[in-house]
Amino acid sequence: MVTHWISWRIIREIMRDRRTLAFFFLVPLLVMSLIYYALQEDETARLGVVSRGVMRLFEADLMMTLEEEDIELVSLDIPDEEVDPELLEKLIWAELRDGHAEGILFLGEQLLEERFDGKRGRIDFYLEGSRPTLTASVVESVASAMDDLAASLPVVIDSSCSAFCANSVNIKPLDLEEHFLYGSEDYRLIDFFLPVFPPFFVFFFTFLITTITFQRERLRGTLERLLIAPVSFAQIVMGYIGGFIIFSGCQAVIILTFILTLMSFKITLSQVGAITILTLLMLLISLVLGLLASFLAANEFQAVQFIPLVILPQIFLSDMIWSIDSFPVFFQWISLALPLTHANVAMRNVLLKQQNLWDSWPQLLTLSGFFLGILLFLVLVSSRQQNSA
Amino acid sequence: MLKLTRVTKKYGTQTVVDNLDLNIPQGIVFGLLGPNGSGKTTILRMAMGLLKPTSGRLSILEKYSPGDKLVRKKLGYMPQQLAVYPGLSVYENVLFFGRLYGIPESVVQSRTHKLLKMVELEPEQNKLAGDLSGGMLRRLMLATTLIHQPSLIILDEPTAGVDPSLRLRFWDWFAELAQTGTTILITTHHISEASRCDKVAFLREGKLLEYDTPESLMERYNCNDLEKAFVQATQARIGG
Repeated sequence: MVTHWISWRIIREIMRDRRTLAFFFLVPLLVMSLIYYALQEDETARLGVVSRGVMRLFEADLMMTLEEEDIELVSLDIPDEEVDPELLEKLIWAELRDGHAEGILFLGEQLLEERFDGKRGRIDFYLEGSRPTLTASVVESVASAMDDLAASLPVVIDSSCSAFCANSVNIKPLDLEEHFLYGSEDYRLIDFFLPVFPPFFVFFFTFLITTITFQRERLRGTLERLLIAPVSFAQIVMGYIGGFIIFSGCQAVIILTFILTLMSFKITLSQVGAITILTLLMLLISLVLGLLASFLAANEFQAVQFIPLVILPQIFLSDMIWSIDSFPVFFQWISLALPLTHANVAMRNVLLKQQNLWDSWPQLLTLSGFFLGILLFLVLVSSRQQNSA
Repeated sequence: MLKLTRVTKKYGTQTVVDNLDLNIPQGIVFGLLGPNGSGKTTILRMAMGLLKPTSGRLSILEKYSPGDKLVRKKLGYMPQQLAVYPGLSVYENVLFFGRLYGIPESVVQSRTHKLLKMVELEPEQNKLAGDLSGGMLRRLMLATTLIHQPSLIILDEPTAGVDPSLRLRFWDWFAELAQTGTTILITTHHISEASRCDKVAFLREGKLLEYDTPESLMERYNCNDLEKAFVQATQARIGG
């Protein structure tokens, strides 16, 4: 009989804690929605086709074949006029760099001449290359369309050629020459995911530990003692940063070393410096966010609830594993408000696209803005709480 | 030392401290007495600058406001909770609080030893605070409060959960400190033990009922127990 009174007590307390109730019922819905959209559909790779000279005649047939493949055909912002081949190549690279397509197939006018000379005939295939799944998808689709293209091309058969010989000329495979903007055909799927590990793990663990530690500082009464000492709130935050930076820094070194060992390509010293700066920025953000969460929580139970609330959306929406394009626009807007989204872009820019850190200045600026904004909000919340305590 | 002039503190529509006037002179042990919810902790928090009064004024050393950096250096606070760091040793806890006040390293170390001796925790100095008993933690709290030699010490229920013999030791230490010119402001709901204060104020529902020496109050209400004096003062106020 006592059991039901214990249950009664638990029910009464939880019913009065609106935040816990919301956590209990809304968070599973949120997580299930995220999983639903994350696994709903695969990313679709985009392919553009550029043809010149007489090869324009074969573009329509090729497009029809490609339409049957699981890719999206896109029109490119390249004028359909005869230009210098070097300039054309630059325009193709620019299209890839600007993210308009994952691959561009170039059918040059020399292709027919090469076929007529009895050669296989070269087609240049330009690939963006930073997302291995999309690269693989676009390469696979183009490869399966190549046989149809080869069969549709005219052949010159001399009188001595038998039927078998004529057929062999027809089915001679085309020579598809791949050019990568980023990386190479050696890029593995895991290489795409490895760069996001350092900011994620540093963010996750620092947020977790800071939230709990600072909550304990508040509940134990030691924070109050710090605040009446000649110590400013900024000094307390800086002290926390100083204390945690040693452990999070060591953690970051371990993670980075592990990841650099696993990477299939060479990493330069400046890349190591760049990812260290990015990891450090994430460390600072997670620290002030952890402090803020512990200020907003009334007790340790509520503080713990912040952990999945902050971490889970970042796993799903930061382009860490699943492409944000598969989520509804609402979630895409949310993803912009998550620090990890911007850190992941910058990390991949540095490691996969071999870019300078400063090329990712919009991400650096956004991450710095996150840090300062959260810090400001933290100061406001803490001073408001002090006055209403 | 600490002066409250028409201080009122409200939380929404609830008045916690109601138009309070109080003057606490230097070098005494002053007891702020009243039941739970009488506004004692709110007064302390305002005196420390952790809360702002809704109206009225608090001043420390005549010209300073609570929360001023100079005042904070001269203020010691021992909260009701066991507010020390369980992961630091006894010695490290005292040292840490001393360092917060910018005391030179050589001074803070010798003071730490002296204070640990005073509160009889020297043999336990290398023990983690988390391994101490409740009474030992109270003594450690007192040491961390005194490390920067404050001239105003605020003690919120310092003897809560402390055994009777240790409680007597605490009151001895408070008297010794007051003799050196330190002002001690104590809150307690153990009204009878506050007879060792030099002056006391009775509080109820945020209002000041009485303010005098324990002896005068007991004489006024014709009783030999401060607790009885408090009950009579409350009844007299309710009676009108």
